[in-house]
Amino acid sequence: MFDTTKSVTLTGTVTTFQWTNPHAYIEIDVPDGDSLKHWSIELGSPSILMQSGWKFKDLKHGDKITVEISPLKSGQTGGLLIQAKLPDGRTLGNGPGRGPTQPAGGGK
Amino acid sequence: MRVRIAVFIGLAIVMAQDVFAQSRGNPPDISGVWGPYRGGRGADPKLAPPPASPMVLKPEYAKPYEQRRASETEASKRGEPLATAAVLCVPYGVPSMMSVAVYPIEVIETPKQITIVAEAFSEVRRVYMDRPQMKIDDVPPGYYGRSVGKWEGDTLVVDTVGIKESVQYQRMPHSDQMRITERIRLVAPDTLHDQITIEDPVVLEKPYTYTLAYRRIPNYEMVEFVCDNNREYVDDKGVVHLRVQEK
Repeated sequence: MFDTTKSVTLTGTVTTFQWTNPHAYIEIDVPDGDSLKHWSIELGSPSILMQSGWKFKDLKHGDKITVEISPLKSGQTGGLLIQAKLPDGRTLGNGPGRGPTQPAGGGK
Repeated sequence: MRVRIAVFIGLAIVMAQDVFAQSRGNPPDISGVWGPYRGGRGADPKLAPPPASPMVLKPEYAKPYEQRRASETEASKRGEPLATAAVLCVPYGVPSMMSVAVYPIEVIETPKQITIVAEAFSEVRRVYMDRPQMKIDDVPPGYYGRSVGKWEGDTLVVDTVGIKESVQYQRMPHSDQMRITERIRLVAPDTLHDQITIEDPVVLEKPYTYTLAYRRIPNYEMVEFVCDNNREYVDDKGVVHLRVQEK
């Protein structure tokens, strides 16, 4: 579904951050010429994201972020997160093996 | 003097009981949260899981199974991996739920039952202790079947029957006669092994055995996992897609 051989970097404005199972999603509006293009970015599950340092309140409507993603093969405006640069300057990954990771808790 | 002798005898009895208890092997405490430990490079070979046995299917099942594996490999090469039931938020069942990606499991021991909760999909299985197993044909097929357990020294032996045929471990076919035997024991103070043996006189030429290893994760609080926002779907060719929001 995702082309993991490719990487696309998008900078835009968060419309929603869905802290849900089986996946979390970041919805963002990205400037495209004079208009906006909307992208849906899939993340791991909350449990996996917490191992990468994410918290459920890390993003809110209106936040500016930059995300690096593996795009959908279909060409639709969606992708799988590799890493995200948050408004507070932190760069967070998407669980083990996807972007920067923080030490996982106790022996995992 | 009599008192001293009585104390000495009493002490000897207590010590003898201790020795007896140790030689009999008191069941260890395996309650708590356990994270998968896969071994790999640099892993302690005593703690890492030993390799699985070969999976030998009877010829009439082996061919379709191999064809399915080949089409899976081809689909993965195209970058369009074929969907598993989990994509649709269908739970894994026994035995797959014992090892889902990096998600932990929680073992809860009570006097008559051991309950195992998997974080992924919040799956629950109940192991009834020291109760007879039912006849396979009397257990309604389901995701978890019916599990009974007993301690054999330091090893928890769990017998499971009644897994429905659509609930497969790594797409391995099985019949309604499948029986799963698990031997669960601590191989080190905070390392647990679950040796899983699948027997199926209809489908398998010989039993298939694989082992899972876990490390204890102290103080971990299990994260809830309710699949209420599944935006992935599967088309009629079995390929997974994502619903994107249109603007």
